[in-house]
Amino acid sequence: MDERNTLLEQIMAYDFVLIDLGLYLNTHPSDRNALRDYKMALEHSEKLRQQYQSKYGPLTIRSLPDPNCWQWVNDPWPWNKEA
Amino acid sequence: MWFYEKRTEYPIRIKRPDPRMAMNILTQYGGPNGELAASLRYLSQRFSMPTKEAKAVLNDIGTEELAHLEMIGTMVHQLMDGVTPEELKKLHVDSLYAVHGKAVYPSDSNGVPFTAAYIESMQDPIANLNENLAAEEKARATYDYLLRLTDDPDVIDPLRFLREREVVHYQRFGEALRIVQEEMSRKKFY
Repeated sequence: MDERNTLLEQIMAYDFVLIDLGLYLNTHPSDRNALRDYKMALEHSEKLRQQYQSKYGPLTIRSLPDPNCWQWVNDPWPWNKEA
Repeated sequence: MWFYEKRTEYPIRIKRPDPRMAMNILTQYGGPNGELAASLRYLSQRFSMPTKEAKAVLNDIGTEELAHLEMIGTMVHQLMDGVTPEELKKLHVDSLYAVHGKAVYPSDSNGVPFTAAYIESMQDPIANLNENLAAEEKARATYDYLLRLTDDPDVIDPLRFLREREVVHYQRFGEALRIVQEEMSRKKFY
């Protein structure tokens, strides 16, 4: 697997923690261990996300555009096999 | 408000096309227990949820189901990649091709189109949350059936992830139901 996909899968892993813990916290809003884990996963995710976006282009439309070219339109999209 | 993120929730990289499995999985796109029905059900019901916890649960699970819809669409698309009409004919799975080509269309595996009649949204939060518990179990059962129909690890892996999410959502809906019931019984004074 190439470097880009490895990095993307790391982001997916941390973001999955955020999705799952977020759901858990909705019904356990004062679980301090879960709140601490959420914060840790968020910090990891944001660091990896910055790294990914500076190398391989935007993950969301709200990332600072390249002054020369609108990179959002670039392939691959998530359903493409090379994604 | 939503923002799109250019990635699937869980990695999907299917190397071997399998049009029969694509048709089987299609039911989780636009079928009665599929991800589109799930998302619309929860995102519609959230407006009549009475407690802050239940609003958040419905909002966030409804949102996650949209990501699952994208995963299913991606699987169907990749399973059809490179398949020729002749191959579809040989496998006797050419009937959906006659209608949509190889496009992803919200129907079940037999081509029955998606309908909002698959879902309910009532003012009564107890009725809604009980429907959602059943819906998660029905989706979980569907993933069990699908998992028995393939031996491709590239297909099994994301299907197992999706099956597991149904179990987690069931858990959260159960907690939301308990919270809503407690809140409603507190408010009663005869």
